[in-house]
Amino acid sequence: MSATPPPADLRSRVLAAASAEPVVPRGAGARRRIIALVAGFMAPLAISLYLGWPRAGRRPLEYVVALSVAWLVVGLAATWGGVSRGRSMLGRSATVRLVVATLTPAALLATWLVAALTWPQTLYDHATVGDHIVCVVFTLLLAVGPLVAFAIVRRRSDPVAPRLTGAAIGAASGAWGALGIELHCSHASPGHILLGHVLPVAFLTVVGALIGGTVLAIRSENGEN
Amino acid sequence: MRFLTGPGTQAGDWHETKGEPGRTPSMLAAADMPALGPRALLHVALRGTPRPRGTSVNVAPRAEADVAMERYAEGDDASFGAVYDALAPRLYGYLLRQTRDRARAEDLLQQTMLNIHRARASFIPGAEVTPWAFAIARRLLVDSLRRGKREMLSDDGELDPGPDRGPMADEVAQARELATRVERVLAKLPQSQRAAFELIKQEGLSVAEAAQVLGTTVAAVKLRAHRAYEALRGALGDVLGGAEGGKT
Repeated sequence: MSATPPPADLRSRVLAAASAEPVVPRGAGARRRIIALVAGFMAPLAISLYLGWPRAGRRPLEYVVALSVAWLVVGLAATWGGVSRGRSMLGRSATVRLVVATLTPAALLATWLVAALTWPQTLYDHATVGDHIVCVVFTLLLAVGPLVAFAIVRRRSDPVAPRLTGAAIGAASGAWGALGIELHCSHASPGHILLGHVLPVAFLTVVGALIGGTVLAIRSENGEN
Repeated sequence: MRFLTGPGTQAGDWHETKGEPGRTPSMLAAADMPALGPRALLHVALRGTPRPRGTSVNVAPRAEADVAMERYAEGDDASFGAVYDALAPRLYGYLLRQTRDRARAEDLLQQTMLNIHRARASFIPGAEVTPWAFAIARRLLVDSLRRGKREMLSDDGELDPGPDRGPMADEVAQARELATRVERVLAKLPQSQRAAFELIKQEGLSVAEAAQVLGTTVAAVKLRAHRAYEALRGALGDVLGGAEGGKT
């Protein structure tokens, strides 16, 4: 270790610059983050209410419950691994975030496959292109609130791999969107699940990676990234 | 801070020196410098300071930074000064070595500290500050490089020693020459190996901390640092050979 004292006047300059830019303490910051998260999850709730109460449609109720629980677990796990930083200011390891970003859509698909094989009658459902598009749109809409909330919570916090963190956040928010639409969509054909419910999650992962570079990255004082 | 002290001091002995503010190890006067062995010289070349016997690499007041940041996050505004005091010397040393430009290093240090300040509201209780601070400094440094605002390191680029440097001892001159050789070897290494080596051997981070800063695994950092060290050993075999010879 080599410690080289910086110039004496730099200390006063840094302290003056910090005082000119007041930041609330941790307690107030935690309250703001909770408000952001609550607001972020209220948005998909409002969209859900617009769509009506959750319904099984032509699908067996057990199938809907089992798949919803499985996707809830996927959403929680993705949020834990991709959004929460654990005990380090640098967040969870790159491996965990990479797993979240790449395996969240795969986990959604895998759990659906298990549910579909358990209730094989759901495989014979027929959905049109219009149905696919409606589900894509609503999955994205349902995911926007969590995505914005996660981005606010993790804003300018990643000095190492902001794009990877962004991808993980995108995947986590996509999982929540997929759960929301699963509670309303009455279609369960393989093509529809893949295109209408899981593809938007992969899309959001890419979107998260793109915005991560600007929103989540540590930036210099003058706003340059 | 630890300094080598005057007459009667055994090579490699260290004493706590107080009341000499602003006097850094790099400013060691010839009279203060005992004869250094090849290993000590290599250490000076790598770190800029001789390494005390029987001490580990991580002698930084790491806990101090953690405690001060904890107090600052809890609402004690005055603790930011303590955070600065605990982190700034190491970060400045790192940035200065990387940029070879005092003004740029100061600017990057200020930005790093301001980013730490901005994270006050989201500081995680019990989180380690040092690897996080180095990661921020490194990110800002890399961004600065990308923006092309840095004078590129050249093989003969040498840090301005500062106006109040004392007379040079032979050992210091040797160490500086060795440092130049080390830098040339490091400059030829892949960036990933060089970064791992610098963070561990020069900045005194643990392998786990360096892995956090670089966003990779402990095993990968170990491997990179080992390869860098092997390259360095191959290139500086004469010096290290002398060290090993002297040991027996």
